[in-house]
Amino acid sequence: MKASRTRTAGTAAIAALALALTGCSSTEGDSGTGSQELTFWGWSPGYADAVKAFNKSHPDIKVTYQEVQPGAKGGYQKMLNAVQAGNAPCLAQVGYETLSSFAAQGALQDVREHAEGEASDFQPAAWQSVQLGDAVYGAPVDTGPMALFYNKKVYDSLGLKPPATWDEYQEQAERIHASDPDRYISSPYLNYDYAGLSWQTGASWFGVKGDSWKVDLASEANQKVAAYWQGLVDGGLISGAPMYDQAWYAGLGSGNIATVVGAVWQAGVIKGGVKDGAGDWAVAPMPQWKAGEKAVGNAGGSATAVLKGCKPTEAAWTFAHWLSTDRTTYGDLVTKASLYPAAVGLLDLPQLQVKDPYFGGQPIYDVFADAAAEVTPGWTWGPIMTKTTTDLDDALGKAWAGKGSLKDALVTTRSKTVAELKNQGLKVAE
Amino acid sequence: MSATDIPDASRPRGAKPGTTVVSRGLTLSLLLVSTVYFLFPLWWLLVSVTKPFGRQFSGNGLWFDGFDLFGNIGRLTAQNDGIFWRWMLNSVLYCGIGALVGTLLSAMAGYLLAKYRFRGRNALFGVILAAVLVPKILFTLPLYLMFSGIGLIDNPLAVLLPSIVSPFGVYLARIFAAQSVPDEVIEAGRLDGASEFRIFRTVALPMMLPALVTIFLFQFVDIWNNYLLPAMVLSDDRLQPVTVGLVGWNASHGVAVPAPLVVIGSLISVIPLIIAFVSLQRFWRAGMTAGAVK
Amino acid sequence: MRPTGTAEQTAAAPKPAVPPGKRRGRETALGRRTLLLFGGPFAVLFAAMYVAPLLYATVSSLFVVKRSGLGLAPPTREFEPLHNFAQAFGDHDFLAGLARVGLFAVVQVPLMLGLALGLALLLDSRSARAKGFFRLGAFLPYAIPGVSAALVWSFMYSSESSPINHLLEPLGVHIPFFANGAVLWSVANIVTWSWTGYNMIIIYSALQTIPAEVLEAAKMDGASALRTAWSVKIPAVRGSLVLTTVFSIIGSAQLFNEPAVLQPISSGAISSTFTPIMSAQAAVAAGNYPYAAAQSVVLALAVGVLSFVFFKLTSRGENA
Repeated sequence: MKASRTRTAGTAAIAALALALTGCSSTEGDSGTGSQELTFWGWSPGYADAVKAFNKSHPDIKVTYQEVQPGAKGGYQKMLNAVQAGNAPCLAQVGYETLSSFAAQGALQDVREHAEGEASDFQPAAWQSVQLGDAVYGAPVDTGPMALFYNKKVYDSLGLKPPATWDEYQEQAERIHASDPDRYISSPYLNYDYAGLSWQTGASWFGVKGDSWKVDLASEANQKVAAYWQGLVDGGLISGAPMYDQAWYAGLGSGNIATVVGAVWQAGVIKGGVKDGAGDWAVAPMPQWKAGEKAVGNAGGSATAVLKGCKPTEAAWTFAHWLSTDRTTYGDLVTKASLYPAAVGLLDLPQLQVKDPYFGGQPIYDVFADAAAEVTPGWTWGPIMTKTTTDLDDALGKAWAGKGSLKDALVTTRSKTVAELKNQGLKVAE
Repeated sequence: MSATDIPDASRPRGAKPGTTVVSRGLTLSLLLVSTVYFLFPLWWLLVSVTKPFGRQFSGNGLWFDGFDLFGNIGRLTAQNDGIFWRWMLNSVLYCGIGALVGTLLSAMAGYLLAKYRFRGRNALFGVILAAVLVPKILFTLPLYLMFSGIGLIDNPLAVLLPSIVSPFGVYLARIFAAQSVPDEVIEAGRLDGASEFRIFRTVALPMMLPALVTIFLFQFVDIWNNYLLPAMVLSDDRLQPVTVGLVGWNASHGVAVPAPLVVIGSLISVIPLIIAFVSLQRFWRAGMTAGAVK
Repeated sequence: MRPTGTAEQTAAAPKPAVPPGKRRGRETALGRRTLLLFGGPFAVLFAAMYVAPLLYATVSSLFVVKRSGLGLAPPTREFEPLHNFAQAFGDHDFLAGLARVGLFAVVQVPLMLGLALGLALLLDSRSARAKGFFRLGAFLPYAIPGVSAALVWSFMYSSESSPINHLLEPLGVHIPFFANGAVLWSVANIVTWSWTGYNMIIIYSALQTIPAEVLEAAKMDGASALRTAWSVKIPAVRGSLVLTTVFSIIGSAQLFNEPAVLQPISSGAISSTFTPIMSAQAAVAAGNYPYAAAQSVVLALAVGVLSFVFFKLTSRGENA
């Protein structure tokens, strides 16, 4: 009796231990040990077809595409887990805003030796996003130059023209709301959609000073943007519909949300999600802080990053570079998802010249082409962006709903970010 | 639905002596109000699925507004070469196999705890129960590392193995075994010279069957609910369960997959569960009352 | 012959005492083979899928993620057993989350179980009809997976299309489901909707085990239906009430799916640290697994202690 008890306990313990040990000692990376096989994790519409085309034209390299949940929804966590377990894929889609955090987690692989010579294929701003310090961590795929999407039907019915300045935008907000109490000029912005608004002013959220991080979230320029939108919130001029929610799509369709200040890929989102808005929407340049200026923000955009543990790095770079620069493939990505190329050589793609009937026959990419050239330089992302944007979204979400202020949201997020940086032992310049 | 009343324990019921019209009316109306509450969202769900494509959110959603159920199912089937049904099949397989094996393991462990005495039994039972206290969300990373170590990433086993362990199932099985399998029957089996396992298989298991259906259903729902771990350990989308697949669709913000399709998909994915519960109801009800029969 | 203790007795203690009448030897029959045969497969998997990850998590919670300078080199993990716990107890968001689920449990659990008990008693009463229909109706929400249930309810709550507010409009009532003070109860409603029927069935099953003679006797004494319910039936299902309470408390502590689904449409009313588990998940997503582990350990201990105290209190009352 006693024996059996001891044995049960023993068996269980041994089993647990064995599994725990295999769990810990695991991890020799096996992806890509074969001649030239590699795996690519991503979620952008159109990537699956792109990989098929690549495999056809490159018999010596075989890429397997696996769709993962979009970054913030679990994709990034999965990538980090895989890196920790040593079986990460060679390549992964990583947003620029997360790239530096990935680097700080040691999750990326430097491919400078293959990439360096091809830097000039990309727009300098995009290239800076994948280059951290001396290392190059992948190829930039697309950028997110911003503009103003506006419901032309609503604007025409009220005799409005797209605003040249933010002051004008505010006046229009009042007129639009006055015309119908259910109608608002915009819905709230969070995360990197919000970052784009700050970006335009030449502000940045982070900076590097020597070997310390500067956390500029609450800087004067950032507060100016916050104060402006706070004015709209206080005036009751912002819709309660959260971006990308059904209520938002419905509002865009009905004209109850009259504009979206958004990046180029937002065109794909609006086209895909707001079928009944066809013909109603148009694109104008981003409103300016001072009449006559031409500053533009950037929102989103991602790279094909090379993850830690990748062995066939040359093949990985070949694919990453190809995905960003192949004319046929990228043309499809433009059509499917309104991606805007980071590669210099693709700016004249025929798909970027089309007159889209959804946007009333307007050649919308002309607006973004002008915008792309004016994106304000100098933006830096921080090393713990997941934490920073989570905290920011918590506070911003409340502020947009009229609880607390946008400015306080920036201040709170700044202090939380600084505390976490220090907690992890990083240096912070005050 | 009401015709299948399980013989209700021992006391005579159903007869209405001693009830007044008032008490009957009051009882009925209270029950009706609560049932409206419970069924209201399900009604909305049903109506939404039948509405023409894209109108899922227009109107108040309480009454039919055009009928295009089959068109909706057709669109769902057409998206990405019908992968939705593949996901459904995966979910049914993961849940079916996981719950079946899990129920069997729970039954054996519960029977052991109920019918045999050995030292450390109560301590063991305590440990199993305490496991319910630990948030499952913590397990994802260690399990991921473990499965990576033994090469089970992108293998259905990585979803199945964790899901067949159910402390709550053992707990229920122990109660049910204690109540529905009399010691005398086991004793009689032993006198006939049957092995312990044979007694379990031929005598105890059938007696516990209604209870086991209950455990099976609980676990089925549990596994169907599982999201984080499958999303982590499965990368091949042809292996994914429907929950993971739909979240992926939802994430394209309507660019790759139209938003109403995501909603229709998630609504349709609930239907098999409802069918399972309705069709198995005489079992789970019997299972719930197991032990009541003297 | 009634074999062993009823569900209520068994459930009344965390480590159920050996039921009376079972003390005579069964143990003689238990061989090592039988033990392994019946318990082995479960034990092995339990150890691998529960105990091992749990050990991993607990050990992880004692380490700190450390980096230096700009943090461009991979982080290291250093052994500082108290660091994460100290951080958790100084983390206002986490503590607020704990307090929130505490409040949630104090209000929602009694409400839900009161409702479940009431329905079970109604169904058990002589006045009820169409019992099968009502029973199924109440139980059906349990069949809807938590995430799907939250999704359906998110449409019920949506500011744009809420059918509930649509129905209430003629009465001039508009429920602000995502107002700061209301949002916790909007979540509570989803949980109540999902789990009332489940708890009702457990209590109802226990009601079925009350011997007919007892009820007859109460009737002979001239007790009304209400009186019988209060003095005979409720005491008799005490055990299942304790059981459902403890499981509901654990469920409240681990509240995650419902608020997480509502979060994006809650206009900021639900933060990423709304509940302790959401807090832990946010930490995991931010790459700080050890901190998440520490938070979860704190939560599990708190709930464990609470459940234990609750068991002790209720079983003491029973003996008195």
